[in-house]
Amino acid sequence: MQFQEHKLKEVLARIFNVSIDTITADASPDTIENWDSLRHMNLVLALEEEFGVDLTDDQVVEIISYKLIKIVLQEHGIAFI
Amino acid sequence: MNPAEDSAIVPGRPASLASIMEYISVAEQTAAGAGIPVRFTFLRNFTVEGIEPYLKYHCLLSGLKPDIVFGNYDMVRQEILDKTSHVHALPSDIIVAALYLETYVPERGRCDWDAAAVMGDLSGLYTDLAANTAAIIAVNTFIPPFHSDLGIASSGELPSRYLEVLRLNQLIREFVRSNPARFILVDWERFVRLLGEDESLDYRFWYMSKAPFKKGFLDLYARELVKIARALKGKAKKCLVLDCDNTLWGGIIGEDGLQGIKLDMHSYPGNVFYGFQQQVLALHDRGILIALCSKNNEADVWEVLDNHPGALLKREHLAAWRINWRDKAANLKELAEELNLGLDSFVFVDDNSTECGLVRDLIPDVTVLQVPAKLYTYPLLLASDGLFDTLSLSGEDRRRSQMYREEAGRRHEQAKYETLDQYLASLALAITVHPARTDEVLRIAQLTQKTNQFNLTTRRYSEAQVAALVADPSRAVISLSVRDKFGDSGLTGVLIARNDDGYGTIDTFLLSCRILGRNIEVAFVLRALELMEESWRISSWQASYVPTQKNQQVAGFWPLMGFAEISCQEGHACYELPGNAPRREPIPYIVIEKE
Repeated sequence: MQFQEHKLKEVLARIFNVSIDTITADASPDTIENWDSLRHMNLVLALEEEFGVDLTDDQVVEIISYKLIKIVLQEHGIAFI
Repeated sequence: MNPAEDSAIVPGRPASLASIMEYISVAEQTAAGAGIPVRFTFLRNFTVEGIEPYLKYHCLLSGLKPDIVFGNYDMVRQEILDKTSHVHALPSDIIVAALYLETYVPERGRCDWDAAAVMGDLSGLYTDLAANTAAIIAVNTFIPPFHSDLGIASSGELPSRYLEVLRLNQLIREFVRSNPARFILVDWERFVRLLGEDESLDYRFWYMSKAPFKKGFLDLYARELVKIARALKGKAKKCLVLDCDNTLWGGIIGEDGLQGIKLDMHSYPGNVFYGFQQQVLALHDRGILIALCSKNNEADVWEVLDNHPGALLKREHLAAWRINWRDKAANLKELAEELNLGLDSFVFVDDNSTECGLVRDLIPDVTVLQVPAKLYTYPLLLASDGLFDTLSLSGEDRRRSQMYREEAGRRHEQAKYETLDQYLASLALAITVHPARTDEVLRIAQLTQKTNQFNLTTRRYSEAQVAALVADPSRAVISLSVRDKFGDSGLTGVLIARNDDGYGTIDTFLLSCRILGRNIEVAFVLRALELMEESWRISSWQASYVPTQKNQQVAGFWPLMGFAEISCQEGHACYELPGNAPRREPIPYIVIEKE
């Protein structure tokens, strides 16, 4: 399921307009300058589109790092292993 | 999925955000991103930044290179008044006044406001904006509530928010209609009618981040704004070229005969083709040229146009045609030459995917539309994408097709003369050259926006900018009108110049392509210089040629007029003509009409 991991990195890279190498396991607004509150909305929309999930209000606010996104997507049944 | 292929003519679901962002990032790093620059400035009272990817995407698809500036949140009034704000510091092509009613009238939920008072306030705001900038201003209508405040009851005593928003929208539409030069309506009410509540409004991000719109709405909003940019930047299409069999009618005339083809008001699929022809005629009436390019026997095609009871499109609507068995790419190139138009101003419609593919491959400049497999969507094909949209419609637009028919008469006449000069002399050409009147400003702005070929500097001006030039005593805006024995071509040339203490500079010189080939440009320049020298003392004239992909034909124009090339730092060719230098001889067969 490397595939899902790569797909997630690709989504982040596109939304924040950075190279995919910058999306490391500890990626967050601290490491990615473009990750501001406005682009965060685009991130939510893109995750919902690409993974076919509906994030709850809490999750929308929670997913402020690569690790947290993975956890939330796993809660929606997306397998990463 | 390749998002470029998803640029549906009938707006459907936009491509996924991630693939749109990928397209943008690739296009910005390659030649596809090198389009005509256009700057949008948003003055807004809600979070509208979500539109950025869609706006960039549709701009790039249209050959435009966007620069998008967002004003501060809910600072519309201050930014208009503050002369140091970025609205004034960075002149934009299009200012988008994006106002959301919930923020503009906070008491909206209770409806103790009325439409007339809000409109009074809005028109003050818009008028200030128009007075202090030169940009085209896009204003929106508001979204009527989707749910009734009064339940199923109606009451004559209680105010209805729904009716009040409808009233306000009507006032906004009237405001724009009465100021068509500066304002373009972006009709949000129509967007939500098209998309519905669920596809339009994002309650989640409205309550969390003051961002009220979903992707579908933002995409549609972006498409409308790009239509404005395309029209402003000379990207509007001018000519519709149509195949015949299975495009103008169902079936094949050469095989099915006049009785057999499908084209009528009442039954499927003839009614689809009938509906399409109605759309074609509507474009013709707006001044779009209609041409045919079909593999057929010419007589068979005329038989349908002249005698079929369902044929709305007649011979007199056509500006030109190529009905033969040669390849369509070659025919399209000939049509472009005959009509004096760039191939990029052509839209070609055909049912055959091989023909469509051939034209796409050989002439990528032509916009190719294939008759859709879902035939019932065909009448909408030309309606929704705004390919032919211009910022305004003038009387000239409506007369254009007739003028091209007069042009066909001239071509016929030309065959009778031995030399070109004899022929030109037989035309009884007469021109009128004068400082632009205020009623000509709209047409002049339009010409600067649309003229690509005979245009020495290709500077685009909005109507407001032209009006400002006309009012400035150190500037001259000179218009040219032409007539001959076949008819009146109307206002078809513009020269704009400025006077800096005796040094005259020609900023813009252009001629509409339909009057080329008659030495009118020579007579026009000579007369325009004379006119300006009547009110200005000019020691020398400067002019330039700024090359584009379209205007090679005028590269040598200034030397022909006696100007000498000089060195300059502008990055393009500059020319000079001392005020007392001998001028070119006037053209003997062109009469200058003086008023």
